[in-house]
Amino acid sequence: MKPPGRINLPGLVTLLAVLLLWEGFSRGSASLQLYFPPVSRILVSLYELMFFRELLGHLLATLGRFAAGYLLAAVLAVFLGIVLGYSRLAYSFSEALIEFLRPMPSVAIIPVAILFLGIADAMMVAVTVYACAWPVLINTIDGVRNIDRTLLHTGRTFGLGRWQALRKIVLPGASPYIVTGLRISLAIALILVTTSEMVVGGSGLGYFILDEERSLQTSNMYAGIFLVALLGYGANRLFVLVEGRVIAWHRRMTAGETV
Amino acid sequence: MKWNSESKLNGLALLVALLPVWEGLSRTELVNPLFFPPMTRILRSFFLLTISGDLPYQILVSLQRALAGYLLAALVCIPLGIVMGLWNQVYRMLELLIEMARPIPPPVIVPVAMLFFGLGDEMKIFVIAFSCAWPVLLNTYDGVRSVDRVLMHTGRTFGLSRGMAITKIVFPAALPQIMTGLRVSLGIMLILVVISEMVGSSDGIGYFVLDSQRRFKVDQMYAGMLSLALTGYALNQLFLLLYNSILAWHKGLTRAS
Repeated sequence: MKPPGRINLPGLVTLLAVLLLWEGFSRGSASLQLYFPPVSRILVSLYELMFFRELLGHLLATLGRFAAGYLLAAVLAVFLGIVLGYSRLAYSFSEALIEFLRPMPSVAIIPVAILFLGIADAMMVAVTVYACAWPVLINTIDGVRNIDRTLLHTGRTFGLGRWQALRKIVLPGASPYIVTGLRISLAIALILVTTSEMVVGGSGLGYFILDEERSLQTSNMYAGIFLVALLGYGANRLFVLVEGRVIAWHRRMTAGETV
Repeated sequence: MKWNSESKLNGLALLVALLPVWEGLSRTELVNPLFFPPMTRILRSFFLLTISGDLPYQILVSLQRALAGYLLAALVCIPLGIVMGLWNQVYRMLELLIEMARPIPPPVIVPVAMLFFGLGDEMKIFVIAFSCAWPVLLNTYDGVRSVDRVLMHTGRTFGLSRGMAITKIVFPAALPQIMTGLRVSLGIMLILVVISEMVGSSDGIGYFVLDSQRRFKVDQMYAGMLSLALTGYALNQLFLLLYNSILAWHKGLTRAS
């Protein structure tokens, strides 16, 4: 949208103005400080918590659950999606179940997961997998279904085995859809991890933020929020980076095939 | 009648066939009935809770909060999105602020809202509005940006005032995309009302489901989830109905061209 490397001056000015006003008003009023501690104090809190107290541990706990849940969901849902997209029979048998489960807001699964898995990491990973799987699954099914059948038949005619056809035709063909699903799931993963951390407590950024609010350590709370936003932002950047590479590989391959 | 291997009735039949299996496994305690109570007990619980008014009450409480937050988000973000789409300067000014706030996962706004508003309805409404805001804002902005400028200039040339041009040209032209944003936000709305009720509430369906689990009233928990699924389904259908009636002109228009 905007040319890279160009600095958004009006945006920067607005941002700085907001931060300065925040800092100024907060320092000027003691009653406001409880709700909006000065920005500088939040940054100091972040630094101290990160390097001298428990925040790093919470960050790592959240990161671990996030990565485990997301990656597991990705693998499972892409696999299932290919099966269900490929086989109309399998899809016809699971469609009713999918349509029944999908409208239920995914976080409602948390109590069930607590019942089965207790309040350990496994429970948080499980709910993350459940919630993240949906967009990937639905998109993969769509993607596989939208592959030109002629392409598939041509491949088979020229002697590609089922497995090769899958790897060389189905997966690359459906990849734009799959990538879209994976991208939606990235935000969902963080929502589920932080929510389950808030509900069951113990460790993780979600727990930390809620706990600091309850003990009215608001600058710590904001520091935690800043960190979790940074985590979300970083994950998104990483995704874009990997996506670019995957697409480059995909382009090279398709270019190579046409020659 | 010939069996159709692609009909969705297959799946329905499978589900119906699995119900007695579930029932039997649970009754004979081959699976732990604490975790999987017999299907009939869940349905009975759902039925009893519905006629006693408990479930409808919880759903209603949640829906009120949800819709209040949702409408608030729409009322703020659609005009803001239009302004941002029409005047690039405004967009540039707000861009960095938005880019900073958007990656915040909505659940962690719950503690902030609790700090400001306590545990009441305002807290949930704020959280829901915050989370629903992004898809509406960004879709409205995108929609307005892609409105054909010639359309707008023609309108102005023919004497439409700026305000008229916005309501008569820009808004309708951007409406399909605005509706897309509203649709995405509808799902988010339901998720966030459940989250905010799980973390800080003493009523609402999110609280009800979690509380049932904590008191090991597992059949109640499943009944609550069933009602949530039904609510989600109904909301989606209602939205589609609204969508089709509002955008009927759009469909006709695009089909003609």
